[in-house]
Amino acid sequence: MNPAARKIVPRPKALNCPQCGAAIELRAMGAAASVVCGYCASTLDATNPQLVILQRWKAKMTVQPFLPLGSRGKLAGAIWEVIGFQQRGIQVEGTDYYWREYVLFNPYKGFRYLSEYDNHWNFVTAIPSLPVAGTNARNRPTVTHDGIVYDHFQTARASTSFVIGEFPWQVKMGETVEAADYVSPPHMLSSETTKDEVTWSKGEYVPAQDIWTAFQIPGAPPPPVGVYSTQPAPPAAKSTRPWGLFFVFSLLLLGMMIFFATRALQETVLNETYTFNPAATGEKSFVTRPFVLRGAKANVHVAVHGDLDNAWAFISMALINEETGEAFDFGRQVSYYHGVDGGESWTEDSRDDAATLPSIPGGLYYLRLEPETEAPTGAAAALAQRPIRYNVQLVRDVPFYFRYFLGIFLLLLPLPFMGRKGANFEALRWHESDYGVPPNAIAWSSSSGDDDE
Amino acid sequence: MSKLYLVYSALVAGGLFYSGLTGWSFGSYDEVKGVPKSVRDNPGAYRSHYASSARYFGGK
Repeated sequence: MNPAARKIVPRPKALNCPQCGAAIELRAMGAAASVVCGYCASTLDATNPQLVILQRWKAKMTVQPFLPLGSRGKLAGAIWEVIGFQQRGIQVEGTDYYWREYVLFNPYKGFRYLSEYDNHWNFVTAIPSLPVAGTNARNRPTVTHDGIVYDHFQTARASTSFVIGEFPWQVKMGETVEAADYVSPPHMLSSETTKDEVTWSKGEYVPAQDIWTAFQIPGAPPPPVGVYSTQPAPPAAKSTRPWGLFFVFSLLLLGMMIFFATRALQETVLNETYTFNPAATGEKSFVTRPFVLRGAKANVHVAVHGDLDNAWAFISMALINEETGEAFDFGRQVSYYHGVDGGESWTEDSRDDAATLPSIPGGLYYLRLEPETEAPTGAAAALAQRPIRYNVQLVRDVPFYFRYFLGIFLLLLPLPFMGRKGANFEALRWHESDYGVPPNAIAWSSSSGDDDE
Repeated sequence: MSKLYLVYSALVAGGLFYSGLTGWSFGSYDEVKGVPKSVRDNPGAYRSHYASSARYFGGK
């Protein structure tokens, strides 16, 4: 135990419960207004030396606090002793929700509180000044305190279902208050209204591990359930870093595009026009003169233009490396049809076709070509006597811009889903509120769940 | 999540850089190895895979 804690927290005063005779320790040095017997749960007047019974109650220890009475821990720069514990609950749509509150005491600082719900913890301090009431853009109630605007989260009647230890007010089992919570994560302003008074307190979210460390509780805390109203959004949920990365990588891709475009050879290695007679018999295939493809691996752009008139031609091509015997087979088809139909002229297809052959190693190559077209018959045979002229052009290493824009699209693709993570976190936070959706939710999401506004 | 996106972006950029270096792009061909040198003098001795494929017959 911290020696400093021994110094500032005096030894408890021992008394006996007038209801059941059990020993009662008073830790708050007369600062507490009531004390609840840990054995019979009777509420006693702590300001009276005879411990007058305020409320008789026969109960058993049905709730086991995480922090036992008398345990001490350092939070917010001071050492606190747990002197009281209560469980409170609200009923929403027929379902009971319970949370637990611990009364902390320091003789120099006074009282503070720890609240715990589903393993989410908040350090709570009473505030002396009244917050200023208002409304937000969606006409929901807000309160402003110390320049921070808090959005209304929930209002419900809270009742005390279990108490033990000392309290700075005259606590009673079954007492009810109207509790209203306003949040601005990680803070919360809460009001508790009875028929006599309104009290305000300010809470701040504390990770469970900090509580475990402060009070030296062995083991690890149970994992929190769900998203709590004051729970800070994890960095990943509110981070704008992915957008920053997107812009950095987009610029990188554009830089890469410029770099490869400026170093591209764009060298025309073959540009020949050939004639093909469809009516001719014999071997149609032939090879071109040899040409050099410079560089290591790069693409080769092949463009074919056919001087066609209501005809088609298919050119089978093989780019053959004269040194290695490696061949790259491909084909291009050009066709062009036109006519008049119902008084309207029409055209179909194109006399041009092109392809880019990827990753062709450098070396000495030649091109084997084998043209073919529809075999001429009947009247068409006479027309087909006219040779078909076609041009083949090969360009080594042409820039390819599309891939970089595709890359930018790929970079963009996950971002909307990453943005949804933050939205999902806020949706989970506000799911338990009186509104169901966050105050800044966009219209389309509110239409499905914001019925009560 | 940002780290995952960083890795993803690096893979996209790395892939594009590699494709820029190697001349990779969309497009296909059939790669045939061991084409005899005699094809240079006798083109008919080599038959392209595409030579026997189906053709489109256009026109109305």
